[in-house]
Amino acid sequence: MSDLAVEARELDDVTLIYPRGYINAHTVRLFEGEIQRSLEKKRFNIVVNCQGLAYIASAGLGAIMGAIEEIRENGGDLRLAEMNDTVRNIFEILGFTHLYRIYPSEMEAILSFQAAQEPGR
Amino acid sequence: MPRAKRVQAAGPRRAATRPAGLVLTVPSDTAFLSLVRDVTRKLGTLAGFPGATADRLALAVDECTTNVIRHAYRGQSGNAIELRFSPDGNEFRVEVLDDGEAVDPRAMPRVDLERYAAERRKGGLGVHLMGQLMDSVTYGRRSGRNVCRMIKRRPRAGRAQA
Repeated sequence: MSDLAVEARELDDVTLIYPRGYINAHTVRLFEGEIQRSLEKKRFNIVVNCQGLAYIASAGLGAIMGAIEEIRENGGDLRLAEMNDTVRNIFEILGFTHLYRIYPSEMEAILSFQAAQEPGR
Repeated sequence: MPRAKRVQAAGPRRAATRPAGLVLTVPSDTAFLSLVRDVTRKLGTLAGFPGATADRLALAVDECTTNVIRHAYRGQSGNAIELRFSPDGNEFRVEVLDDGEAVDPRAMPRVDLERYAAERRKGGLGVHLMGQLMDSVTYGRRSGRNVCRMIKRRPRAGRAQA
């Protein structure tokens, strides 16, 4: 069995990415590739649903950091949802919880993009 | 896929909750990182560390092994990486040894997270993370080999797990 499988789907103007398994130096290209595919399609609103993510090493965090400037420069954002305690702990250790918006559910992450687009919000 | 070269138990037999040291030699191939992670985590839990701490041990050793592959061996597979695990009493020690290029710890990049994204960097987080995950991380040379030595201490009773 592969250490990582990554699926993606598009919902309106949000790209949803589902990594399942382990992201480390061996598997990170799969994850990075899915982020890049979204950017190539000029889709800069991205939600990474971490429900199936068991573990993330610095290679995976570097993939997110390597893309975030381009995403935000184009008016988008990469937001995360449904992290388990292990993954959240790694984000906290590195101070990433201050750099990224993390939501308990995928729906809340999706709605956060819509809320930003509503007039007066 | 290359095969792990050697797994060897070292030292006298001990109680199941206090495993003996273990030496694991793997090729310098990222395909073996999952094995390194699983072995480290298992040894951590066998040594009585909580699951969350065992996860941290596994991540630190994964990061160190990744650094050896990327930097000491410059991504070339087929070289040997030796991991010496010594779960002992109040601390869990791991030494990672390689025959690659000498590593100067002073040359290792320091991560400034405020500037990191703006610089569009992807590397350097591993060393930073290892320092956050372990109580001690030291680098040196022994018999012409690079040695990275990491220590995680068991928290004293009543203290929160770091």
